[in-house]
Amino acid sequence: MIHLHNVTKSYRQDERSVLACDVTDLRIEKGEQVALVGRSGTGKTTLLHVLAGILRPDTGEVEIAGQRIDTMSEPQRDRFRGQHIGMVYQTFNLLQPFTAYENVMLGALFGRGAGHAAEARGKELLARVGLSDRMHHRPSELSVGQVQRVAICRALVNDPEVILMDEPLGNQDRTTGAQVLDLLLQLAHEGGKTVVMVTHDPDSALRMQRTVDLATLRRASS
Amino acid sequence: MKLWSISMRNLRIRIVSTVLTTLAIAVATGLYAAIMLMAQQTRDRYEGSIGGYQAVLGPKDCSQLELLLNTIFHVGDAPGQIPMSVCDDLRAGKVSRRGAVRYAIPQARGDSISRWSFPVIGTVDEMFSLYEWQRAPLQFADGGPWAFSYEELQELGARLAAFETARRADEKDGPPRPIIDAKWKKAVVGHRVARAMQLSLGSTIVPVHGKHGEFGYHEHPEAACEVTGILAPTNSPLDTTVFLPLSVHLLVGGHEGGLFKVEIPAGKNPDDAAKLPVTARQLALTAILADPKDHLGAQFLRRDFGTRPDAQVAWPQDVIPKFLQQLGNAADWLEIVAQLVLVVAAMMIAVAIYNTMNERRREIAIMRSLGARRTQIVAIIVGEAAALSLAGAVVGVVCCHLAALLLRSTVEEMTGVWLEWATFAPRELYLLVGVGALGALAGLLPAWKGSTTQVADNLSQTY
Repeated sequence: MIHLHNVTKSYRQDERSVLACDVTDLRIEKGEQVALVGRSGTGKTTLLHVLAGILRPDTGEVEIAGQRIDTMSEPQRDRFRGQHIGMVYQTFNLLQPFTAYENVMLGALFGRGAGHAAEARGKELLARVGLSDRMHHRPSELSVGQVQRVAICRALVNDPEVILMDEPLGNQDRTTGAQVLDLLLQLAHEGGKTVVMVTHDPDSALRMQRTVDLATLRRASS
Repeated sequence: MKLWSISMRNLRIRIVSTVLTTLAIAVATGLYAAIMLMAQQTRDRYEGSIGGYQAVLGPKDCSQLELLLNTIFHVGDAPGQIPMSVCDDLRAGKVSRRGAVRYAIPQARGDSISRWSFPVIGTVDEMFSLYEWQRAPLQFADGGPWAFSYEELQELGARLAAFETARRADEKDGPPRPIIDAKWKKAVVGHRVARAMQLSLGSTIVPVHGKHGEFGYHEHPEAACEVTGILAPTNSPLDTTVFLPLSVHLLVGGHEGGLFKVEIPAGKNPDDAAKLPVTARQLALTAILADPKDHLGAQFLRRDFGTRPDAQVAWPQDVIPKFLQQLGNAADWLEIVAQLVLVVAAMMIAVAIYNTMNERRREIAIMRSLGARRTQIVAIIVGEAAALSLAGAVVGVVCCHLAALLLRSTVEEMTGVWLEWATFAPRELYLLVGVGALGALAGLLPAWKGSTTQVADNLSQTY
């Protein structure tokens, strides 16, 4: 499902080139739930952005669902991301002016389209996470746990093959966070989706099927 | 959900900026629409108004434009007088055989009615039988014409001339001065006169001399006339005209001094001329409406009156379009000013949206992370700018027409143009589309800035 080979990504800082991400080889099978762990600065979030097609690697190959996204143009990567990848962020990244339902539908609008089927699916997902009666509330009117559940619904509304999560429990208390993560993993499992989660939290990592330390993926010289 | 709903939401959450920018566009568009409306309706009014006038004869010592503006559009005071002999000769075919006319209708203007100063025209009943407005006799909305023929005018002229000649010769037993016959005290009023003064058939109007509130202003109660007819609307100065039998004009008190057009013979002074006998052919008119029988006749009329000393002929179809061309040039300059104001307003849109781009970087990054292409971000922001300017344009055009509704009486008083506030010209639709497009164009710069937002850098901020 996901295959990275000799992927590097650097960025410029004060005239210097800083290697942010270095992955020699990483394979994740379809339906697998993988935690990516590592110390700060090991390039976890950068790797996630490379997987999402937000950043293009400087070198190497990135293959997702049988397609090489490193060779795609930016609009192609945008379209691919919208249709095949769902993302959940530590900061939730919901848009404040829009209601919970509208935030979910934004995912559909930029993904596979916000038609009647997507509307029905968005409402169904919100109902599955217990937000039927809150779907017309804005994020500022919801609790942190509710906001996180809306973000999960938005990630799932396009029925993507891959879910990418960046510290999804970072802003929540442990109990609520665990409940939300379990819910997401359950929904992903039911849909046969591949889940890749970047986290610092060992407890969260333990809930995944496999844990990969990014330090082990780096080339010996780096 | 659609892209435009995101644009609309973005406008709504910045409501103060949205309202202010919309107002700026509305003012600019309203100004532009007002100039267009005034220019178009003025042009329509003037061009439409000359439809009933083939040739206008008037005094020699004024310009053709002055003669036509006074005779057709009632602008200013009558520029001078011509003797009725001109009219007699025209009707008798004496000017030249080919210069024969279908009609030659005498007019005399001097008084007005009401505080709006609706002009009073003394004429004969051929104005309602022979004269053609837009190729048909004048239509009546209510009632009908009064009766006063050219022959009656000649007969009255003869009696007035006899009286005047005796008076000038200081004859004690000369003929009496004719008085206004009750059957002549009739009036036909234009549609707008009737509406403004709430006149109906049988109402009485009293001509006045001078302007309301000014020195010398006085009423002529002896010439109070009963309304016998109300003309159908023509959207021309005919709507603001009152037609009385010429006899009333001639016999009303205070007009005695200017009843006859007497040329001062060579070697005589004005005092000598004031003692000379007069004839009906010297009755003073302010204009004659004529209609040559054919095109060649018009050419002969033009040639004959080019040399005749007592009158000139003016051709509305030649003079008025040239005049409108000059007016049009002024309107074109005003349009350019309005266009510049629109451009400034569009720049305001660009600045207003551009200034929000920094605070919207995260929002754009989130949408991009959800799969939004750069082109979709551009569409959202350009959509905001276009919607803003289109809304402003609609408000501006609507306000322009509301202003036309509220100010049309004032505008008519100042320019003689009665604004049709409910008439929307196709150009206004183009204006709306154009302003919308201009706004969209103005949105391109902030849209470009928004579309270049770095996604990865802006996703990690917290809210």
